[in-house]
Amino acid sequence: MAQEILAPLAGKIFKLQVAVGDQVEEDDEVIIIEAMKMETPVFAPADGTVKEIKVKEGDAVEEDDVLAVIE
Amino acid sequence: MRPYFEKMAEFGKELKKSQLERAKENIQQVKTVEDGVAEAVDAVKNAGFPTEKINARGQMTVWQRLEYLLDPGTWCPLHTLYNPMDNEIGHTNVVDGLGKISGKWAAIIGFDNKYIAGAWIPGQSENIFRVTDLAKRLHIPLVWLVNCSGVKLDEQEKFYANRRGSGTTFFRHAELEQYGIPVLAGIYGTNPAGGGYQGISPTILFAHKNCNIAVGGGGILSGMSPKGYFDEEGAEQLIDAAKKYKVEPPGSVKIHYDETGFFRYVYEKEEEVLDGLKDYMKDMPSYNPKFFRVAEPKEPKFTDEDLYRLLPMNQKQVYSFDDILARLVDGSENMEFRPDYGPEVYTGLCKMDGFLVGCIGNRQGFLGKGYPEYADYPGIGGKLYRQGLIKLNEFVTLCGRDRVPIIWFQDTSGIDVGDIAEKAELLGLGQSLIYSIQQTDVPMMLVVLRKGTAAAHYIMGGPNANRHNVFTLGTAATEIYVMHGETAAVATYSRRLVKEKEGDRPLDPIIEAMNKLAQEYHDNSRPIYCAKYGLVDEVVPLDTMRKYLKAFAGAVYQNPKSICPQHQMILPRSIKG
Repeated sequence: MAQEILAPLAGKIFKLQVAVGDQVEEDDEVIIIEAMKMETPVFAPADGTVKEIKVKEGDAVEEDDVLAVIE
Repeated sequence: MRPYFEKMAEFGKELKKSQLERAKENIQQVKTVEDGVAEAVDAVKNAGFPTEKINARGQMTVWQRLEYLLDPGTWCPLHTLYNPMDNEIGHTNVVDGLGKISGKWAAIIGFDNKYIAGAWIPGQSENIFRVTDLAKRLHIPLVWLVNCSGVKLDEQEKFYANRRGSGTTFFRHAELEQYGIPVLAGIYGTNPAGGGYQGISPTILFAHKNCNIAVGGGGILSGMSPKGYFDEEGAEQLIDAAKKYKVEPPGSVKIHYDETGFFRYVYEKEEEVLDGLKDYMKDMPSYNPKFFRVAEPKEPKFTDEDLYRLLPMNQKQVYSFDDILARLVDGSENMEFRPDYGPEVYTGLCKMDGFLVGCIGNRQGFLGKGYPEYADYPGIGGKLYRQGLIKLNEFVTLCGRDRVPIIWFQDTSGIDVGDIAEKAELLGLGQSLIYSIQQTDVPMMLVVLRKGTAAAHYIMGGPNANRHNVFTLGTAATEIYVMHGETAAVATYSRRLVKEKEGDRPLDPIIEAMNKLAQEYHDNSRPIYCAKYGLVDEVVPLDTMRKYLKAFAGAVYQNPKSICPQHQMILPRSIKG
């Protein structure tokens, strides 16, 4: 089942910690968003494989934007 | 209260493989800073005469005396790099810390006899106040190793007089005695004038056979020059007088043991003085630890080596404070206070070497949607908001009521600002926290894990909580300043930039000044700077942190001024509900 990873807050994509095809475990850091002078990690909600990454480093994102999809 | 405390809820997570992998660089960064601090500490220990030279005179150095005096493995040095007046020697000529002697905790301080025979030098009185304050707040004996040649005469104007000058330290000894805190002193060497008062002001004096204490030294030959200035004739007279002067310095054992009886004991050997202190320490007032322990001591479930992976040197990187705390407290167990309220701060009861302590720390990272509830912007850990401040006030107040000492951990960028925050009463709640701390009258200590910034640094039990903060520790990642250097540069120069732009003048000089200011903030907030100027009392390696926390808890519960029976505590009931 595909699961979307959403931006918890507005900010800039600072770093992608995974690539499409990577295996991730629940609570692994997937993406880091820079907002309010801090680097906020976004975690995998479940074990799975990264199916799609919808952002690139430097992109501005809004709260609840889809960042990636894991399956 | 065994059901409450014997086994609390476990917390903290094991590190994941990905965390272990990513942390390699961080470990190196932390160790590099810790190595730099260790190097600075070595320089202090090796300053002055070499040990061999002191030993050749038949004397032990202060470091050797401490090693002989202390119970092995208990020494927690403090103020090692403290040197606020920038003495060339690199320290204030006293060595101090918290340690056990004959199984009892004491605040211990000794003159460094490797440098001008342990003289008073600039900044020393402030160092001594920190140690008398340590004894006062922990209500434990103060043990002195006196060996003080008096004033460094060519700098006397910097420390001899004034409200917080060297003579003030003797009033502090009297103040400790007023509170029923004994001051024991082992006395060595020649101690004239100020050195004499260093010798006479403690409660019980243990003298080495060759020591003396006196109102004035024998070296003062004839006071002022009769001509009002010095010339060759006067110099010749002085040379003649000095050559003839062979009198034993005043105030020897012959006077102060045989005649006045000021010296309670006299010993032949240097070690025997220390044996005398050790013997006396056995009889100092203290409770058996079982009187206060709420459980058997146990080590944390996780290794403290993890701390090198968990505490990021990158100041922007977020981490789990709970995971750090779980590496420091007994059994990685806790009873968290109001976990569903004020998510930016952790507050909870933990055990430290079997003793109950209240722990407080800033959580990091995004605090979740809808928080803070009074604002339309997201809350980020490290900052304090309305709920967090209310929770801190409640927790501190209950710790005071239950006589539970508090360990604060700071990594804070400040308190939320702006009209929305003002409307949410954050200014008032911050001052309320200061009031709450002042009301507790329980000892507290602080670890500045990373950032100590803005008002949050003082309202969260910082050293400014001077009547309560026993000592403050720094780490390799510590930085303390009123605001980040770049923020300070903007605050200082932004209007000027506008003016220069409107006047069609070049911006380069202003930009250069801004970068310079930001760099100064950086340089003047690093761990060694913080230790040198007393912003922290010691910078401690992460794998040594728990030793200090245990020493704090053990010392607090050795002979506290007041007691709350465990079965009459409210905080654990408030947590359980």
